[in-house]
Amino acid sequence: MLVHSRRARWAVQGVFLALFLPVFALPFLVVVAASLATQWSGALPSGATLDHYRTAVRGEALDALTTSVLTALAASALALATGTWAALAARGPRARRVVGALFVLPVAVPSVVVGLALLVAFSEPPFLLNGTPTIVVLAHAILVTAFAHQSVAAALDRLDPAYEQAAASLGASPLRVLLRVRLPLLLPSLSAAAGLCFALSMGELSATMMLYPPDWLPLPVKVFAATDRGALFPGAALAVVLVTTTLLVLLAVSRVRTRASYR
Amino acid sequence: MSTGIRFDGVTVAYGGNVVLDAFDLTVEPGEVMALLGPSGSGKTTALRAVAGFVRPRAGRVFIGDEDVTDLPPHRRGIGMVVQQYALFPHLRVDANVAFGLKARGTPRAETAARVTEALETTGMAAYARRYPRELSGGQQQRVAIARALAIRPGVLLFDEPLSALDARLRSGMLAELARLHRELPDVSMLYVTHDQGEALTLADRIAVMDRARLRDCGTPRDLYRRPRTAFTASFVGSANLLPVTVTGRGVRLGDTDLDVPTGDAAAGARATLCLRPHLVGLGEGANAVRGTVAAVQWRGATHRLEVDVAGHRVTADVRELRETPPPGTEVTLHFAPDDAVLLPAGGVADETAGGEAGDPADEVVGEAVGEAAGVPGGAVHG
Amino acid sequence: MVSVLPAPARMAAPARTRRIPAWTLVLPPVTALGLVFLYPLALVLWQSVSPDGGGHGFAAYAEVFGQAAFRNALLDTVLIAAGATAGALLLGFALALVIAFVPLPGGRAIGRFVDVFLSFPSFLITLALLFVYGNAGLANGVWTGMTGAATGPFDFLHTRWGVVLAEVTYFTPFVMRPLLAAFSQLDTAQLDVAASLGARAPRIVRQVVLPEVLPALAAGGSLVLVMSLNEFGIVLFTGAKGVTTLPVLVYGKAILEGDWTGACVVAVVNIALSLALYGLYRTLTARTARPEGERRARA
Repeated sequence: MLVHSRRARWAVQGVFLALFLPVFALPFLVVVAASLATQWSGALPSGATLDHYRTAVRGEALDALTTSVLTALAASALALATGTWAALAARGPRARRVVGALFVLPVAVPSVVVGLALLVAFSEPPFLLNGTPTIVVLAHAILVTAFAHQSVAAALDRLDPAYEQAAASLGASPLRVLLRVRLPLLLPSLSAAAGLCFALSMGELSATMMLYPPDWLPLPVKVFAATDRGALFPGAALAVVLVTTTLLVLLAVSRVRTRASYR
Repeated sequence: MSTGIRFDGVTVAYGGNVVLDAFDLTVEPGEVMALLGPSGSGKTTALRAVAGFVRPRAGRVFIGDEDVTDLPPHRRGIGMVVQQYALFPHLRVDANVAFGLKARGTPRAETAARVTEALETTGMAAYARRYPRELSGGQQQRVAIARALAIRPGVLLFDEPLSALDARLRSGMLAELARLHRELPDVSMLYVTHDQGEALTLADRIAVMDRARLRDCGTPRDLYRRPRTAFTASFVGSANLLPVTVTGRGVRLGDTDLDVPTGDAAAGARATLCLRPHLVGLGEGANAVRGTVAAVQWRGATHRLEVDVAGHRVTADVRELRETPPPGTEVTLHFAPDDAVLLPAGGVADETAGGEAGDPADEVVGEAVGEAAGVPGGAVHG
Repeated sequence: MVSVLPAPARMAAPARTRRIPAWTLVLPPVTALGLVFLYPLALVLWQSVSPDGGGHGFAAYAEVFGQAAFRNALLDTVLIAAGATAGALLLGFALALVIAFVPLPGGRAIGRFVDVFLSFPSFLITLALLFVYGNAGLANGVWTGMTGAATGPFDFLHTRWGVVLAEVTYFTPFVMRPLLAAFSQLDTAQLDVAASLGARAPRIVRQVVLPEVLPALAAGGSLVLVMSLNEFGIVLFTGAKGVTTLPVLVYGKAILEGDWTGACVVAVVNIALSLALYGLYRTLTARTARPEGERRARA
């Protein structure tokens, strides 16, 4: 403990809340408030309405939400499979370093550039993906693979080699050790990685803006389109729907994780 | 089925660092062999070479008549119990024990029967539906043993299995392991430990290791009563190691002639006299030596006297004294001729006593060894 | 007597009879990454030296570097990234310090909140700021309500400052997370000893805490620097006409103008900048993460 006197502690707490609340909590409250209003000209929004939400959960907006969820599911699955495979297969310190460096590269490259690169590479045969949902999924998968790989690799680092050695000494083949011992023990980290990948993909805008075809329009693009044409309040409602969906999935995933780690 | 283990010139190295050097040892079928040595002596490496987790740079490992050097661990048919248990935390006790049987494709009914049998052998049948985290350390270790027994291995490997248990549990488990050995007379066991008590209690034979090499091997009684090297003498039990000169009828310590069997040692040669502290008596008797009390320690049932004799520190553990001699008192110590062992002197500098051997308080090392221990124990070269 | 003599010289054991070497297992994921990520990146590089007219050369670079829009974008990118990083470091350090060392009601919940915050889309912050500081919004609404003026004084959202404010808000948790981890490993006995020797809180922070967590601070800072160089959503959402960063320029050239070669040139510059900084970040984190990474099986 750094601050010992009660008054000083109160002062520090006060300053903390004065910084933390406006900077981090206010944005969410403001967006939620705006999503329920029709105009904001005074200190508080006015014209309470649920209309924005009625529009946000049907028609085009619902399609966009479905598109986002499907994209995020597919991208997370791809990223998790690739990242986990790479982390599991890279045994030995040197292989781990090389594969690790390779798989974090997508974090360092701007997402917009990842989108551009996919456009350049897959706009003509034999790889004609431009204009298909596949290219959006691919972009999301590339962007979140780094996070999947990193969390699995970190968990593998912490995994006591005694477990797999005990399994091997009992006669389990490497495949059996992987399926019955290593993967079950990694389950908590895998589910955490899945949640993170899903959330990041749900909010991805940069590469998506470069790539999305007219018939595969994820929700963030829809939010941008709304705010860009000045429809801030419906846009806020869409954003709330996006964040709520993401949080619900994260919550479900964390329940899986608690169950897995309590066994 | 009875299978032994044979190491044939096994050398293991990490990079340029040799951790096991041309290791030769045979564990007979049904025998309990303890690998005893300080940490870093190569004993765990030897065990892991049998399990298949380290690959020898040279030499072969045999289980029974089969050369297993190139077999992956899961094809070796060994049972292994390690210090940190390594029970699978996501499986219940019965699933843990069944793991090896399922890996072998044992029929379901037989698996269930053998799981029950293994759990009953270790007294854990009542805990079959628990998860490992719901068990105490001792219980977890019993499950780990049951898991290794369920596959009915010809060879059981123990890697410091009791180190994580507290002292009381340890002696209980030691008795359990001894019972297990009686009930499974055909299973060879290789038991790695740094605790001489465990090795002396449990093993049929003890292999003493130090700095990547096998230093000595024999029955516990042999190693204790007739150690062949100063290292063995000081690591298996405590020992006073005193530099002496061989005379016609015995040896000379300082100015005192002592009656000790000299075997075929030549007169005039330098040698090391090994004396167990509890075999040294206070007062007149055969082989009496006079000295000055330097310190007295009360240890409950015994008193430990540190006595300076002819410039050397001699430790004597005697039955609890009514009156203890204050430091500075002149006393006489004695020992029976048959209780002393004469060791070659040349070996002393080479066979340094391990610094981390057992309870430091029990470590009594004479001056000759004490000096030698100052030699830094650098990398061992083959 | 057991032989302790060296064994006769022996050949090393013959190679294990295995169908496939273990390292080949790593090939499928690496190939996949190569095909969908590295190969396209290489094509971007190739396209940047292959102008539309045919042939190869650096003509496109000369053209792009000559444009005022590019030079402005480069300047904006660097300034915004530097400002956002500095702000996030300051704010993140202060907040993490309080969370770690001053008991707060709900401190754990705040830590969890910071974790969740990391997975939110960045444009959400800009959207929120539009409602707080926008033309019609909370701050200006309060002002006009109090003074009766027709418009409020807050009109910085569409400037660099607006972007910096949004990025500081969004990136601060990325600084806090490694810092909180580093603080939790700090030996609190050190702080108590320092306090018992009469040091006051600011002095303890400067002389005890700061040196210990400097690697974490540096790692978090360089991560934020890279991420703010690459940030797109925040700048796009502010709709600031005068503020263009390199990613926005890439988007503009490729999608709005259809000039792929020009976009590729800007992209190459952006990648070079980011990779250089990312290399720095990896070096810093590798140094702090070393002890854990070196864990090895017992020999």
